[in-house]
Amino acid sequence: MIQNLVDGILVGSVLSLGAIGLTLVMHMLRFANFSHAELLSIGAYAALVFDAVFSALLPPLAASIGPLSMTWALVLALVAAVGVTGASALAIDRLVFRRVRAKGSELSMVFASFGVAMIIRNVMGLVFGLGTHLYSKDIVFAVVVSRDPMLLIKPDQVFVLGAALLVMVALHLMLSRTTLGFALRAVAENPTLAQVNGVNLGRMIALVWVLGGGLAAIAGVFYGLTNQISPMIGRDLVLPVFAATIVGGIGSVYGAVLGGFVVGIAANLALAVLPSGYSPSVPFLIILAVLLVRPNGLFGEARA
Amino acid sequence: MTDHTIRRAGRFALAMALATTALTGAAFAQDCTTKIGAVLPTSVDWGKPIAETAQFVVDQVNEAGGVQGCKIEMILRDTQVDPKVGVDAAKALVDLDGVQVLIGAVSSGVSMPILTSVTVPAGVAQFSCCSSSGAFTALAKEGKTKGLWFRTFATSNVQAVVGAKVAKDKGYKSVAVLYKNDDWGQDIGKLVAEHLQAQGITVTASVAINDAQPSYRAEVTEALAGQPEAVYLALYPTEGISAVREWLSLGGTQNMILANSLKSDEFRDAVGLQYLGSTQGTDTSSPRVASADAFVASYKARFNAEPNGPGLANSYDATMIALLAMEAAGKDAKGADIAAAVARVTDPAGTPVTADAAGFAAARDVLAGGGTVLYRGATGNVRFDENGDVSAPAVIWSFTETGTQEDTYITLEEVDALVGGSN
Repeated sequence: MIQNLVDGILVGSVLSLGAIGLTLVMHMLRFANFSHAELLSIGAYAALVFDAVFSALLPPLAASIGPLSMTWALVLALVAAVGVTGASALAIDRLVFRRVRAKGSELSMVFASFGVAMIIRNVMGLVFGLGTHLYSKDIVFAVVVSRDPMLLIKPDQVFVLGAALLVMVALHLMLSRTTLGFALRAVAENPTLAQVNGVNLGRMIALVWVLGGGLAAIAGVFYGLTNQISPMIGRDLVLPVFAATIVGGIGSVYGAVLGGFVVGIAANLALAVLPSGYSPSVPFLIILAVLLVRPNGLFGEARA
Repeated sequence: MTDHTIRRAGRFALAMALATTALTGAAFAQDCTTKIGAVLPTSVDWGKPIAETAQFVVDQVNEAGGVQGCKIEMILRDTQVDPKVGVDAAKALVDLDGVQVLIGAVSSGVSMPILTSVTVPAGVAQFSCCSSSGAFTALAKEGKTKGLWFRTFATSNVQAVVGAKVAKDKGYKSVAVLYKNDDWGQDIGKLVAEHLQAQGITVTASVAINDAQPSYRAEVTEALAGQPEAVYLALYPTEGISAVREWLSLGGTQNMILANSLKSDEFRDAVGLQYLGSTQGTDTSSPRVASADAFVASYKARFNAEPNGPGLANSYDATMIALLAMEAAGKDAKGADIAAAVARVTDPAGTPVTADAAGFAAARDVLAGGGTVLYRGATGNVRFDENGDVSAPAVIWSFTETGTQEDTYITLEEVDALVGGSN
């Protein structure tokens, strides 16, 4: 039981990172972006490519850091992947979403996002193949924290949790302490009023995409580190990430963080109760339960 | 209607008449084409050779003059090992191309929805090289396959019984079972648990592994809880890699017994050979008979490689039997007639024919004379039971630097004895 709880927290940290980006985009642009999870996949593959490049250019970088399967090359690759994914998110907005936004309704945006998701997924499959990739083939063994009750934790997962929390704190400081953060929140609150006060709407939208893409890239790499990389990452994660966003309440960054952990823990604990064949139903059940009890999510506010 | 359009209509009719004459002429010149469909997972590394082997059969039959004097064209579509994609592909082949014979699919989870929602409703004969789930047997017993379903791959029961034998021979006292949550996995998972218990081995947990999950940690933790001495894995490489890496990193045993689905280089490389030392797998095998050796020789001559991948001999036989049955059923036969004619080409009392172009030509002469044929194929003398099932010998294998090696060969008689003894 304690093992399931800890595993849930570790899985939850990745979901939280993905959900933060999604909740920002959903709040600001007011549409359910079903292609958001594909940004995780772009991030994971971008890091895979950069990791190979950096390792080849500077072989000393290919050594593992301490007990982790992570290498310095992958750390650099992660930074590059954040850039690439942020840029991709922006490019997708310019190519598709901005045009649809100008002409169509919110519903057209949702359908466009389905299309974008499929295109990204299949392009990934075309370029990298449908098989699975790994950052490192070595298996990092879990450390026995306690024998009774049994508790095993992998160093990679502790690192991922720590790094994810660090990113969240940094984001919190940015949103609550900087002018940029105020401007972002103002636009999310009321775009017209924000513009009247001199906030550049176009630039804020671009910032949201870059921010969301960057966070998605980090989540994607962390997911690849603790699982594996395949073109289906987006398909596998879209539902848990959406569940996390809805549980937290659309627009609430802190809600998204909490939502990620709630979904991660619930999915892991569910196995203690449900037969394993039914575990995919858990995110659906969470969405339903939250919508029934608190239609705006745990932290969301009703919007006129 | 103006004079102009009348003249045009007249010209059109004349052109049609000419075209029809030309077509009939072509038929006499034996230049017609009959389409058959194939739905196979060509986008995965082990699926492509299966499709190439089916095409190899079609080429041989065309070399022998085709079926009923018509060239065979095999339209191949990818399933991506996805039931939805597979059903769409099969529907297009049946509805748009009007095929009466469908080859495929590989996975039971893909073949099953195709069978129930495409081929049976449309009355198309379906021949699968590789689907092994017992669900097909159950469906056939209920009469819901309408006799349109055939497979040249032995049911999962053969592998399950051999998997239990491996556990017993190695002296494992407790085994956890991880199975893919689809038709095939549920079936083999249930069967292997039964056979293990029949051998007096404790099954500590049977855990379903769903496709496309963000993490398999909880499932693996559940399976680890009983601290089993060994683990039986009925998974595909994609989720198998994820689950096994998780299993090993959490301190799970390296005593693994694998179903044939994990006989893949992708799996070996991603998990690492150093962890697979005490791992053994099971697979069904071609019988050690002359006709099987002949297939290996002709395959090597054609592809310049050993037919080592899963399901190649089965793919050859599925396709060849389908085409022989089309020949036996006569011109423009419907799926049901073709399915009914299978018995005429796999008759134990029939004239034996070989598995090549010459064999097909010989079979045509016998069938034209009203006789029956015994097809001696790549998997031996194929004989379907009333449910469209076959049995098969088995092998136990293990991973090596370059691929896999065979550790033990278990003959058809020994398999039958094991199955009989365990039930």
